[in-house]
Amino acid sequence: MAYDPLSTALKFGFLAVLFLFLLVIARSAFRDLRRTAAPAPDATGFHAAVAGPEVQRGNDAWLIAERGGGLTRDERFDLIGGLSIGRSKDADVQIDDRYASSIHARLFTREGRHWVEDMNSTNGTTLNGAALNGEAELVDGDTIQIGDTVFRFEAS
Amino acid sequence: MTRARNRELLALIPVAMLLTAGFAAVFAQENSKLGNLSLTYGAYFFAVCLATHIYLRIRLPNADPYLFPLMALLTAFGLVMIYRIDESLARDQANWFVFGLILFALTIQFLRDYEVLERYRYIIATVGILLLLAPRLPGIGEQVNGAYLGVKLGPISFQPAEFAKIAIVIFLASYLRENREVLIVGARRVLGVTLPPIKHFGPMLVVWGATMLLLVFIRDLGSSLMFFAAFLALLYVATGRFSFVVIGMALFLVGAWFIVTTVPHVHDRVEVWLHPYRDPTESGYQILQSIFAQADGGLFGKGFGQGMISIPGHPNSALLPAAETDTIYSLVVNELGLFGACGLIATYLLITARGFKVALLANDGFSKLLATGLTAVFAIQAFVIIGGVTRVIPLTGVTLPFVSYGGSSIVANFVLLALLLLISNRARREAEEGATSSERPEPLGALS
Repeated sequence: MAYDPLSTALKFGFLAVLFLFLLVIARSAFRDLRRTAAPAPDATGFHAAVAGPEVQRGNDAWLIAERGGGLTRDERFDLIGGLSIGRSKDADVQIDDRYASSIHARLFTREGRHWVEDMNSTNGTTLNGAALNGEAELVDGDTIQIGDTVFRFEAS
Repeated sequence: MTRARNRELLALIPVAMLLTAGFAAVFAQENSKLGNLSLTYGAYFFAVCLATHIYLRIRLPNADPYLFPLMALLTAFGLVMIYRIDESLARDQANWFVFGLILFALTIQFLRDYEVLERYRYIIATVGILLLLAPRLPGIGEQVNGAYLGVKLGPISFQPAEFAKIAIVIFLASYLRENREVLIVGARRVLGVTLPPIKHFGPMLVVWGATMLLLVFIRDLGSSLMFFAAFLALLYVATGRFSFVVIGMALFLVGAWFIVTTVPHVHDRVEVWLHPYRDPTESGYQILQSIFAQADGGLFGKGFGQGMISIPGHPNSALLPAAETDTIYSLVVNELGLFGACGLIATYLLITARGFKVALLANDGFSKLLATGLTAVFAIQAFVIIGGVTRVIPLTGVTLPFVSYGGSSIVANFVLLALLLLISNRARREAEEGATSSERPEPLGALS
């Protein structure tokens, strides 16, 4: 029993298959990593819209903090000129929320109507309890949720 | 998406092959001949995995494709090694594997909306704590090597800590989701370290106190470390403050040091860890033999069935004590060498990576924290026992998930896997719907 070619072959065969198997799974994990790192917020679209000519034309509208995000309750943000919401210092409404992206969503006015747009955030934005895809029009009383932060939209 | 399920099916094939090869090698060693039995066992194993796979295809078509094959690989490792130690133990283990998969299927069936767990969090936490304390109850408690980890109810004995870990993680995930804001917002900086607000320091102190009590009550350093480290991992993910983790670790070390110097059993364990040669034939025997067995394995190991776990002709003389539970990792290293050990550890690492991926993809706070917590507790458990047998930390009676012999361990870990797959299924489905429906401007209705 000192040297058994069959056992040795099986042992090395086992190790070879084991490592090939693990390699394939690890490779797929690396692919996933690259994929999740790729999409960046659409910064250009964001800036163009804020500086656009029609932003000043809307009615009075506010975004009001309801809870979370390190904001005081009922803090009001005027929508004039558009608002960006996110964790970054550059965001108009800076929120302290682990699940918020740096520029998470924006609110803007187009042809007198108000819109909310998710800026390709990692964890998504919720409008009145439903997931927001792309942009949607806002009406008085809508709630917007980002992570654990909740806002109310008010328009007159 | 059936692509995920197809990848799962493809990945199960090499796992079944590995099990067959392992059994074949053990047979070749024991009988000096190769029958069809290893192929039969391999076919059984593959059939059971295939049934689970088909169930997943129907119930959770979008769930992560690699979590189940990786865990099946660990089970295959365990079955081969336990078979090599004792045939009847392996039969038990195989039965537990099937039973675990049944419970896995039931969990998926009845917990499709796993948010209900959040509603019952205080009940779940109470059950978890009762489970942890059960081994100290007179009549049903069981003391093994000085630690209170087992419960004996008539003919059934099990390790409640295995189930308690899931309950505790569910509670912590739910609690932290609700309270993480206050933990961050009130934080202040003192001497360059972010401290949580004094009034919210409470939860951390409570969990710390509970861990210390646990250490005194069940006298198992490994389980206490496992629970507290999982809590810190969750706390870190919930608040993003690394300083909380440092403070928590410091608290744990201070508390553990105090208990080590006062509770005799825990003190003995630490003494053995620090000075195994003081009593090499009695208290230091297990850890020393475990290390010798690993060193003896070399790069590629001695081959399946060729490691020595008892002196030939004396089946009761244990050269590697508790080879089927505590020191099974040492036996793997002995027979498959450094490369086999790396493969085993890589499997745990990949499971951890997949688990954190599930947490990254999840859309709501509770799912994120739950996936993180379950993955963390699984990974830390593997670390605690592998660290124990390699003398990185004191050796304790925690099982190596899916590999060690033991029904509670296998069944509880399959429930853990079921929860991870449930979270993963929802997250990946939502990600996919988000990707395909981005052209449509109207928001989707509430996803359930």
